[in-house]
Amino acid sequence: MKIEAWTIGICGIFFAAVSPVYWLMSGDPTGTSALVMTTLLATLLAFYLGVVAKQIPDRPEDRQEGEIVEGAGELGFFPPYSWWPLFAALAFLVIVVGLVIGWWMFIIGAGIGAVTVIGWVYEYYRGVHAH
Amino acid sequence: MVTVGTIVWLASELMFFAALFAAYFTIRAVSPELWAIETEKLNVPFATVNTTILVLSSVTCQWGVFAAEKGRVGRSGSIFQISGWGMREWFGLTYVMGAIFIGGQTFEYAELVHENVTLASSPYGSVFYLATGFHGIHVVGGLIAFLLVLGRTFMARRFTHEQAVSAIVVSYYWHFVDVVWIGLFATVYLIK
Repeated sequence: MKIEAWTIGICGIFFAAVSPVYWLMSGDPTGTSALVMTTLLATLLAFYLGVVAKQIPDRPEDRQEGEIVEGAGELGFFPPYSWWPLFAALAFLVIVVGLVIGWWMFIIGAGIGAVTVIGWVYEYYRGVHAH
Repeated sequence: MVTVGTIVWLASELMFFAALFAAYFTIRAVSPELWAIETEKLNVPFATVNTTILVLSSVTCQWGVFAAEKGRVGRSGSIFQISGWGMREWFGLTYVMGAIFIGGQTFEYAELVHENVTLASSPYGSVFYLATGFHGIHVVGGLIAFLLVLGRTFMARRFTHEQAVSAIVVSYYWHFVDVVWIGLFATVYLIK
């Protein structure tokens, strides 16, 4: 995983070098803000990947003699499908349009939103999935 | 997998805040005289206390994650015996501190509105409320996430690895929101 950390880390180093040069040559606060934040974006990802690389043993793709079959096994829990995100997004639509049209609509949207988010988060915690 | 996705999403959130920072600095650069008048109205000591509460809430959140990683979901002793606290107690405390921060922000907004700093009063008001307001919405989102994660611990009979992962990703988000606030606090209150 070190290679991923370095790939993004090098981008971070590049932006860290470019940001002050850009500021000194242009004096433009807009672009400088964007460049500084891009530096932080790359640093965040590189830092995270670097930490994980230290925590976990080498993955098959990290080793020269790694085989594809070694990557088999459980990767995590992924729901086969879910209708909740669709309704959560529709509720969010009502909330945002409510900001434009009126608070009554916002409140209705917030109510629907609460139901859909709870339905989504607890989908595999109730009914036949209760554990 | 969930943690990687969360970090990538947080990196994109950073770009969302980049737009707000860029707007703040751009408008500040074109109207310095406005900043000289309007930033006088900010209550810096109050905001400093509020910021400290938010930063400390990141610490309590991390203690909650340590408890979750050890599989300690609830407290082992009395509620006053802090060393025996589990994830629920630490996250509960974090929730309260985050809620105090939001309360403080609301109080500060009310004070500023009394001094005629509103979203529509001037470009300063617009960027001030947009930047701090969008951050506030993120904090509220974090508070809701804490409630959902705490709810999960009560919905299942035993504390699973999946629940620990959701606690960890919520903590990532909380630390992120905290760090963004430190940046915003420095921008809005310290360098004025």
